[in-house]
Amino acid sequence: MVQENALRIGKPFAQIDGDILRPLESFPTKTWWIAFLISASALAVFVGVLIYSFFKGLGIFGINNPVGWGFYIINFVFWVGIGHAGTLISAILYLFRQKWRTSINRASEAMTIFAVMTAAVFPLIHVGRPWFVYWIFPYPNERGPVWVNFRSPLLWDVFAISTYFIISLVFWYMGLVPDFATMRDRLDGFQAKTKIGQILLDIRRFVLRVISLGWVGSAKTWHHYEKMALILSALATPLVLSVHTIVSFDFATSLIPGWHATIFPPYFVAGAIYSGFAMVLTLMIIMRQAFKMEAYITIKHLENMGLVILVTGMMVSFAYTMEFIMAAYSGSHNEQYVFLNRLKGPYAWAFWIMFFCNVISPHFMWFKKLRTNIKVLFVISIVVNVGMWFERFVIVVTSLHRDYLPSSWDMYIPTIYDYAMLIGSFGLFFTMFLLFVRAFPSIAIAEVKADEAGYEMAKH
Amino acid sequence: MVSFKEVKEGLFSYEEPDKGWVAIFTKPQELLKAAEKVRDAGIKRFDCFTPMPIHGLDKAMGLKRSWVPFVTLVTGLGMALLEFLYILYIDVINWPIVYGGKPHFSFPAYIPILFEVTVFMGGVCTAAAVIVLGRLGKINRKPIHPRVTSDTFALWIGDELSRQEVEKILSPISCEIKPLE
Repeated sequence: MVQENALRIGKPFAQIDGDILRPLESFPTKTWWIAFLISASALAVFVGVLIYSFFKGLGIFGINNPVGWGFYIINFVFWVGIGHAGTLISAILYLFRQKWRTSINRASEAMTIFAVMTAAVFPLIHVGRPWFVYWIFPYPNERGPVWVNFRSPLLWDVFAISTYFIISLVFWYMGLVPDFATMRDRLDGFQAKTKIGQILLDIRRFVLRVISLGWVGSAKTWHHYEKMALILSALATPLVLSVHTIVSFDFATSLIPGWHATIFPPYFVAGAIYSGFAMVLTLMIIMRQAFKMEAYITIKHLENMGLVILVTGMMVSFAYTMEFIMAAYSGSHNEQYVFLNRLKGPYAWAFWIMFFCNVISPHFMWFKKLRTNIKVLFVISIVVNVGMWFERFVIVVTSLHRDYLPSSWDMYIPTIYDYAMLIGSFGLFFTMFLLFVRAFPSIAIAEVKADEAGYEMAKH
Repeated sequence: MVSFKEVKEGLFSYEEPDKGWVAIFTKPQELLKAAEKVRDAGIKRFDCFTPMPIHGLDKAMGLKRSWVPFVTLVTGLGMALLEFLYILYIDVINWPIVYGGKPHFSFPAYIPILFEVTVFMGGVCTAAAVIVLGRLGKINRKPIHPRVTSDTFALWIGDELSRQEVEKILSPISCEIKPLE
């Protein structure tokens, strides 16, 4: 109860609407424009390299014979991993009745959707002929028919990622419907000063009328709606765990030493939640400073996210240790060599970056003083994501560059286009996120108000 | 025996408010009490309008259980069955081919895909069920009160009751009663 009262906002309902919708109803600030220009430029680089690679082929990137999965798969796993926190917050924490999820679930669900979209670009280019990418779906065709291989984890991935994207989108949109209705009804009081302003206002009214689906807040609709929120959470909970499990199957079902490990599914899921929460923390800290939402996203919220990072960070550290123990114990010469090579080989620097970022840095969260300090949290959240990117680098590159046959050993050297794609993917993600905070309510208004009404009613 | 009419009422519970009375409240607990009183008075044609879901309001109004979970179950499992038959057709009948020495019918490998399509179809159809059963999608609908999606709670009662009767039912609760044309 003490914790719940600490989360209470204690503002009148109409003021909550105003506070949350303020960034949507005013002209963007200078900070927003600067951030938008930077990320849009990165996005332009991304699109440019993408188009160039369509003309020149995959040869412009650093992938070579032993290391066939370079930055693409690293970036893919990285972004899909980031996408996991949104559904964790909106579904799993919903089932566990964690009230602190309410003010961060909308933005983190948006983050999920954008991260999965960013991730999906990479395998699509990596297939080599992106114009035939629809062949990954098992539809009756005139090429034989040539069917997909239902026993391949790569196909499971197609199903997992597309299901995850669509379910997240449905969950997010249905959550937005009551808030769109709030926005629509607020516009009744607005008056445009100029003729163009009037036209824009009419367009805005029309769009909001369509996307709010004629929502009028009937209790009979809420009755079905609340049932849906529960069911979608119950469906999304195993879904979110399945997605990164299946991503890890891409590695674990192969026979490459360093990949062929049964610990991979839980290890990947813990890592995904770890990096996802770090990204949510980064975004929430920026959002709350930029839009003055300190009343809604409190220190308590940030502290709780810090604790999740601590827990999942230790799970990831456990998995790292376990991998080494299993390798030492395996009696497999190749397996033991791969892990020694990670510690001391040519890519040892990547391993040690990963180690310091992921194993050491979360332990600062043990101290209340540090996990309630926004600057510390912000730095740690970025450090963790750097570490998680390097984790995927270590898994992909160090396992591949030393294969069974020493004759086929080679080094992986990323080209400038690889780096451009990496930076550009952040551009794609942040551009979408910045547009989101301008166009949609970034905190779930109806859910915040439902919690407030709950506190109000509990008092009587 | 459940009659067809009852099933239909349970399915499509929402009714557009027409002629009648609208009581306006400013606090959720007042609306909750009012809904209980209206339900206990045995009135069938009434509805509540709230800016947020109110815990316990469905019980207070005496709403029937939602059919949404049933839709999820049927569509999710139905899709899983269809997908299973489809994979069976592809892998065993249409183009049997040996991959990696595995049998044509390799059920364990199908489980991830069957799970994903269950979640996909179940989730999408659940959202569609809310749109259909909650009678959403009528974009020109106007809310019963302009602030009902912001901070006002409203209760609508059909016009089979007179103003005095409505006032009598809601008597100790402070609210503003207006006619709805």
